[in-house]
Amino acid sequence: MFTKFAIKGLAILYTALISCFLFSGGTAWALSTEVTPRNIPINLMYHGAQVSIKGENGANDDLIIKISSEPADAHMKYKGKAAGLFWMKMGDISFEHVPTVYLLYSSRNLDSLLQENERITEGIGFESIRAGAKMETSAADMDPDRWIAEFIKFKKAEKLYGIEEGTITKINETHDGKYQLDIKWPYQAAPGTYTIEVLAVRDGNVVDRAETSLTVARTGIVEKLSNLAFNHAAVYGIISIVVAMAAGFAVGALFKKGGGAH
Amino acid sequence: MYMYLPIALTSVNYLLVVGLGLAVGLLSGLFGVGGGFLMTPLLMMIGIPPTIAAATDANQIVAASASGTFAHWRLGNVDYKMGLYLLIGGFLGGAVGVHIIKILRATGGADFLIKITYVVMLGVVGTFMFFESLHALRKQKAAAAKGEGKAHSKPTQKNGGLLGWLPMQTFFEKSGVTHSALVPLGLGVFVGVLAAIMGVGGGFLMVPVMIYMLRMPMHVVVGTSLFQIMFTCTEVTFLQAYSNHTVDFLLAILLLVGSVFGAQIGTVLGRKLHGDQLKILLAVIVLAVTVKIVLELILEPSLLLAYKGGH
Repeated sequence: MFTKFAIKGLAILYTALISCFLFSGGTAWALSTEVTPRNIPINLMYHGAQVSIKGENGANDDLIIKISSEPADAHMKYKGKAAGLFWMKMGDISFEHVPTVYLLYSSRNLDSLLQENERITEGIGFESIRAGAKMETSAADMDPDRWIAEFIKFKKAEKLYGIEEGTITKINETHDGKYQLDIKWPYQAAPGTYTIEVLAVRDGNVVDRAETSLTVARTGIVEKLSNLAFNHAAVYGIISIVVAMAAGFAVGALFKKGGGAH
Repeated sequence: MYMYLPIALTSVNYLLVVGLGLAVGLLSGLFGVGGGFLMTPLLMMIGIPPTIAAATDANQIVAASASGTFAHWRLGNVDYKMGLYLLIGGFLGGAVGVHIIKILRATGGADFLIKITYVVMLGVVGTFMFFESLHALRKQKAAAAKGEGKAHSKPTQKNGGLLGWLPMQTFFEKSGVTHSALVPLGLGVFVGVLAAIMGVGGGFLMVPVMIYMLRMPMHVVVGTSLFQIMFTCTEVTFLQAYSNHTVDFLLAILLLVGSVFGAQIGTVLGRKLHGDQLKILLAVIVLAVTVKIVLELILEPSLLLAYKGGH
């Protein structure tokens, strides 16, 4: 008798769990992500790379994909007018807790996906960078909002910050949805590990998330030269001089043979 | 078409960089200037960080000036004695200039001084050279019209000049001038100080100094200036590579592939141009760079931030 009840109870519990899993808003199993390639080698002919981010989007939600680095401090110079006439670098300015790379893509307009306060909480959009950043300067009376906006403008010009709305392709297949985003990875991005975060958004809320990472690293002669320059600087300096002088004299001798110079 | 630069951390079109090297090398062979005052801003325009642009440029100038010195040595255009005095003075002046910049950086006035020195020196040198050569060219035309024979720019002076009373009077055979050894030493110090403040090799300052103050013939000026620049830039390259890690070897290779050929072509071209024609061409280039810097100073930049380092 007890065994029969136990089996029945377990069956109900199991059905309830499955139902919760299938019909809850979370659908935690439904969102996945993978990046191809996972590693980008910086070799001699490197000029950025084609990166594809794709995965399952079972509930066919709207998506936001954020690629960013760990927040760090950026130490810079600000420009202003000296003597009321000349534009030049005036002093030091630091932006604390800002990512070096921040690239954002979405399946629709961000404003229509999430409210501003929700975007800031989730680290979505330049407002979230403004909200999280701190500014230190060598001068008094500098408006942080204005200068953080200048910082974002600077990074956008470097192609290291950017927001592209409506760029994620959602593919609806018979049973479950898939998504894909193809981007050109900027060669300006320094070697390092970058986090790729995918958020599923429904009715103004983030309902699911998935994460992976992308590693960019120097290889081959690029790595060897970099190591030499930083770890054996004297040898690197001497090689640079010897090669330059040898090239100069060799071409000089070549021209003599060719009779170019008298 | 693209190559990644391991120190500059950026990717560049290598044909474009070789082309830049060729163009600036041509000027180097023609005028005896290193071309730093042109190349550094050009490199910054294609996305190279300022500190790396300046240091790497010094590295490629070693190649261009070695190539140019070799060509001028064969033509008998290098006054080694004068070059050595200027070089010693230049090293001393460079050390003083670096110290001045250090003090000014600590007090916060360095950037202003650098920019103003650039504008004033380029403006004064360019304007003076332009009008002086224009005047000389007109005089030659007038002389030719009167049938007074072919004018030539080779100076005939023995020249103790205003500083004839100084001790250590020496005859510089190759240049055909007599000066106190203290004159090229002092002028070397003066150019060295300014070059260190401006962060350039100083060729465009040294050339007018040799022409107008040391009264050297133009073709000897070019060869001697290149000889001196080769040593100055060797020192700068080593110091930048060793202390600041700002020399990008691959970028330097691309630049020097162009510049060593450019320097040879420039030397050959220079032989075909008259001394005053060379001077007026250099004056126009110097004035164009001055106008560019003045515009940069007056017009509001599109970006109000810059990475630390460089000018």
